[in-house]
Amino acid sequence: MKKRLISLLLISAVSVFLFAGCGNSEEEDVIVLRVSNWEEYIDEGDWGEDEVIDLEEISICSDTGVVEDFENWYYETYGKEVVVEYSTFGTNEELYNQITMGDTYDLVCPSEYMIMKMMSENMLEPFSMKFFDESVEENYYVKGVSPYISGVFDDLSIGGEQLSKYAAGYMWGTLGIVYNPEVISEEEASHWDLLLSEDYSKRITIKDSVRDAFFAGISIYNYDIIMDEAFTCSDSYHEDLTTMLNSTDEVSVDAVEEILSRIKDNVYSFETDSGKADMVTGKVVANQQWSGDAVYTLDQADEDGVTLCYAAPDEATNLWFDGWCMLKNGIGTDADKKHAAEAFINFVSMPENAVRNMYYIGYTSVISGGEDDTVFQYADWCYGADEEEAAEAGETLVEYPIDYFFTGSEEETGDYTILTYEEQLTRQLFAQYPTKDVVDRSVVMAYFDKEGNERINRMWTNVRCFDLSSLWR
Amino acid sequence: MKKSESSRGLLAIPYAIFLVLFVILPLVVVIYYAFTNGDGQVSFSNFIHFWQSTKTIGTLLYSVVIAILTTAVCLVLGYPVAYVLAKGNFNNSQALLMIYVLPMWINFTLRITAMKEILTVLEGNLAYHPFLNTIICMVYDFLPFMIMPLYNALTKLDDSMIEAAQDLGATRTQVFYKVIIPLSVPGIISGITMVFLPSMTNYVVLDMVYNSTYIMGSLIGSYFSSYDWHNGSVISIILLVMILVVTLVSNRFTDSEEQGKARV
Repeated sequence: MKKRLISLLLISAVSVFLFAGCGNSEEEDVIVLRVSNWEEYIDEGDWGEDEVIDLEEISICSDTGVVEDFENWYYETYGKEVVVEYSTFGTNEELYNQITMGDTYDLVCPSEYMIMKMMSENMLEPFSMKFFDESVEENYYVKGVSPYISGVFDDLSIGGEQLSKYAAGYMWGTLGIVYNPEVISEEEASHWDLLLSEDYSKRITIKDSVRDAFFAGISIYNYDIIMDEAFTCSDSYHEDLTTMLNSTDEVSVDAVEEILSRIKDNVYSFETDSGKADMVTGKVVANQQWSGDAVYTLDQADEDGVTLCYAAPDEATNLWFDGWCMLKNGIGTDADKKHAAEAFINFVSMPENAVRNMYYIGYTSVISGGEDDTVFQYADWCYGADEEEAAEAGETLVEYPIDYFFTGSEEETGDYTILTYEEQLTRQLFAQYPTKDVVDRSVVMAYFDKEGNERINRMWTNVRCFDLSSLWR
Repeated sequence: MKKSESSRGLLAIPYAIFLVLFVILPLVVVIYYAFTNGDGQVSFSNFIHFWQSTKTIGTLLYSVVIAILTTAVCLVLGYPVAYVLAKGNFNNSQALLMIYVLPMWINFTLRITAMKEILTVLEGNLAYHPFLNTIICMVYDFLPFMIMPLYNALTKLDDSMIEAAQDLGATRTQVFYKVIIPLSVPGIISGITMVFLPSMTNYVVLDMVYNSTYIMGSLIGSYFSSYDWHNGSVISIILLVMILVVTLVSNRFTDSEEQGKARV
């Protein structure tokens, strides 16, 4: 018995050494890329047989998923083996805590304010010069990123350095309200103060996130100024709007605290992910949501025979995006790794792969495709309507121009106009590609400074804690 | 002899390692954060901040009220059940006990989700009664933890004591209040500690029944997710002190009770 035990131990010891040996010899020519992304935020393949996106030049389907395809593509293109260690996170704060607690990643995909926070803390590795060279065929990101989005990136800077040097966009969208059109009118849903409406008391949910709630609160607080024509027509409208909705001075924050306390008493709940299901089952009739989740919710509801709509409030909407950035403590001085990380960004930015991701997760890629028309064709494939069919059904079609996203110019050439059913003006298409007037009133919420951040967090704690004075009111 | 003693001592090593790594070290870290400020200097400002804000004190009271109510309802519901199970004339009381603690075998999020749907059917809209729903779901969640220790204490109770009281002319109610309840105090105390303390911090239940008001547990979570380790640790310390007080008080009860029994 004892002998057997010893031999067993020996075998396991030997095999450990053997495997360790394998690992060592492989490490020299295999690049290990540690990627951390949001949960369910990339095409994982395994599409059904009938799931084929038939576009003019190509038909897209997916079997193996983007990550595995990247490993093969990298080997074919650069002749080196790369292994992606793919992991996911649930919130920006969770990712940040993981990193500061000692987890190392090479490439992560947080939201805009977290990118800014990481930038300000000198955690990010800048892209190489080569990454921005449009003449390189494989540089799908710089060639394909929407001129509108790259404009937004260029406008943002931390400590005098442009965000675009450190981060490449992935998905983007707006913050709005999903509503049930049978109960709530489009007009009502187009204002943030719907959250305070007594008519729908206890039938609306709001995100359990200090930043999303704050945005709604500060938009309500500044309603009178924002909606004033003198303000909207001023030359510095967008700049002023951005400053106003990003202000964390004491007066604004106190006012938002008061508004959010009333919202807390009025809404059904602060939710993290129950909102989508509660909309479909009809427990709630409106729900503050990000546009990508809205698309998903609307799709789900359609399957259950319930029609829901999406509105981006008239006052302002929060323009958010998630972007890829490389971490200094992961990449280090490893040039091969950096190359692989940049290649990963380029690979997910290939129009075909951008379409796969969009189809799979419902969010909107920042990629417009540049010379390549695939992305627009996909949007048209999703939402475009056939005139004859519509005429037979007695439906009217509307033109839906989204030139701003594809060309970056105000001009509407007709090349980027989708002919679609009228209902799409308040539905998936509107959530996925907002109209020009929505993006005109959209504001990026920057990362607040330390003082502002503390004030906002304290405000949030005050809103959520039990208010003793409510006992004798 | 000596050898077996030392090898017995070895058996404690795995847990000792566990204890140091996952209980003592984290505790040291929590204490460090609680008594320092952002610049790493020793400071009591976090404590002062907690006691100065009516909002955080409000949340402390709110958690205590939830915990007291949950414990009280569990006790009132659990005691008769435990008594019947322990003293009733059942052929197989073990099997019956199983039925009562069966909910413990089912994942608790699943149970609360089911309870949520039932309450929705009953109330129409959960959001109108967040406090009531919280108590109902907390009780549902923690009731088995009350029944088990009560059942154990009551099965250990010597029937001859009851018979003696009856022989001396005590009525049934007198027997219950003067004999059974005092003798089951250790069970009551351990039931209370098992229900009171977790129900003060179990914010998952509140989240699931859409109660938007924070309790102590959610407050810790919210501080930690905004990287405020200091204030989060302060709340943990405050909870720890409360737990310590409750345990000390309940130990005193059980001790004096056991001594009392010995004297009889």
